[in-house]
Amino acid sequence: MGKHKTDKPLILKGRIRVVPVANVDTDMIFHNRHLHITEPEEMAPHIFGNLQGWENFPKEAEKGDILIVGHNFGCGSSRQQAVDGFIALGVAAIIGVSFGAIYKRNTINAGLPLIECTDILGSGIQDLDEIELNLETGTIKGIDSKILINGRPFTDVQKDIYYAGGLLNLVGD
Amino acid sequence: MSHTIAEKILAEKSGLKSVSSGELVTARPDKVMSHDNAGLVIRHFRSIGSSKVFNPGKIIIPLDHRVPAESEKTAIAHKSIREFVEEQGIEAFYDIREGICHQVMIENGHVKPGELILGTDSHTTSYGCLAAASSGIGATEMAAVWATGELWLRVPETIRIEVNGKFKSGVTPKDLILYILGQLGARGADYKSVEYYGNTISNMPVSGRFTIANMTMEMGAKFGIISYDEETEKYLQGRVENDYTPVYADPDADYCEKYEYDVTDLTPQIAMPHRVDNVVPLSEAAGIKINQVVIGSCTNGRIDDLQIAADILRSKKVSKKVRLLVIPGSRSIYIQALKNGILETLLEAGAVVLNPGCGPCLGAHQGILAPGERCLATTNRNFKGRMGSTEAEVYLASPTVAAHTALTGEIPDRV
Repeated sequence: MGKHKTDKPLILKGRIRVVPVANVDTDMIFHNRHLHITEPEEMAPHIFGNLQGWENFPKEAEKGDILIVGHNFGCGSSRQQAVDGFIALGVAAIIGVSFGAIYKRNTINAGLPLIECTDILGSGIQDLDEIELNLETGTIKGIDSKILINGRPFTDVQKDIYYAGGLLNLVGD
Repeated sequence: MSHTIAEKILAEKSGLKSVSSGELVTARPDKVMSHDNAGLVIRHFRSIGSSKVFNPGKIIIPLDHRVPAESEKTAIAHKSIREFVEEQGIEAFYDIREGICHQVMIENGHVKPGELILGTDSHTTSYGCLAAASSGIGATEMAAVWATGELWLRVPETIRIEVNGKFKSGVTPKDLILYILGQLGARGADYKSVEYYGNTISNMPVSGRFTIANMTMEMGAKFGIISYDEETEKYLQGRVENDYTPVYADPDADYCEKYEYDVTDLTPQIAMPHRVDNVVPLSEAAGIKINQVVIGSCTNGRIDDLQIAADILRSKKVSKKVRLLVIPGSRSIYIQALKNGILETLLEAGAVVLNPGCGPCLGAHQGILAPGERCLATTNRNFKGRMGSTEAEVYLASPTVAAHTALTGEIPDRV
């Protein structure tokens, strides 16, 4: 893989949305009744449409939001819409306790930053807090709070794909 | 150094002498598979600006998720796929009549032992029943594979599961994999390869091995592999050229975890809503009223599954309180079930027999549930809303349990 240097930031600042639910499957993220949709913009309003209590997530989403999730997020299908919908909503990164294996790959390959952080939910972090996320070191820092916690840093592959804006841009060269 | 099956296959497909778990490799899969979501892959593929796929002979596309098209949107997607395979010269295109992609793959000789196969469907792990390393990937990733023929992969750690003993009457491979899922949990094999051994597995036909490999995905696994043996060889005869080289694990390969099970006392198992690992013995679910029973899917839609149902329902009637849907896994299974009288038996009992495909398994069509309804299915997922209404419930069980449930309209305490 080539080394792409772009203007993509390695330090992200944003508001967080905390979804502290374990085993959120791809049907909860993007329900099967919308599977015929192939345009990302059309996917966006259906994100979390089947996750009780989070149905309004798309309406409340702001560009640059950082999503924080629990254990095994995205388990289930290989459903691309469950990743592309977040990108369309402007979500800047996903930090999770752990991820479903296919979901993790899909997210990385779509160029959406993904950080694993085992202790994130117990860190005292609150919904709507502002944080600073360093992708290269995996460090998560509260802007108005004293929270400082370390997730797993980006791998080289992740960095290459992120810089390129997704695996397809690496391939297209 | 000693290696697992996953390590050996990924080393070979990456052109490396050896690899170990945790390494990232760039591998060249032997085959790649997409179903109806090929429409989404095509969209991504076009966006790269690529005009030709890396090798049309390595791409297999069966349509199965929404067949025949249940909506205009699906019809448009199917049409775009037909045009694409024509344009690219993809010969292994199976239009709506052939059946469920994973079944079509093994029946038509697209899977050989030792191969690496990637598919845009999570249950691609199924081909482990023929000792292949196979896994689900996303549509974006697949577009990259179509363009380049390769993909980066992380070499997984491997869990070794040994199963011994003979099933009691009425207990099936489905009960075994549900039991293991209940024990290890939906994250029990996250990012890992699982290898199965033991006399229960070696005495199991490919059909049952398929059920095991298929649902190994529900533990989060990358691969679920049953090592090559005489049973694998027997299944492959006449389906593939004898040009493959089976890959075995070294006796002292490095496993991250090891488990042993004895099935002698195993009873029928059932996964309760809404989690695949919410597994209890059948008796704990007894008496729950069921509105719809589904016998089919890539997990349990093969001839022996339909035979089990026919044997239980022969000369009996499906309860009027329940709708029984039967979906043969493929056209060839359908024909076989037609010729040997299975379908006649099931139809006389009151079953609705659908065309081969995924049917209601993923909630696309053909048996969507209303709020408050309960379905007992031989399928592989019971997520909330999986079969339509998010207020409906799905219970997962074997064809044996499903057929008994169809007789009374409630979950039996024994079979």
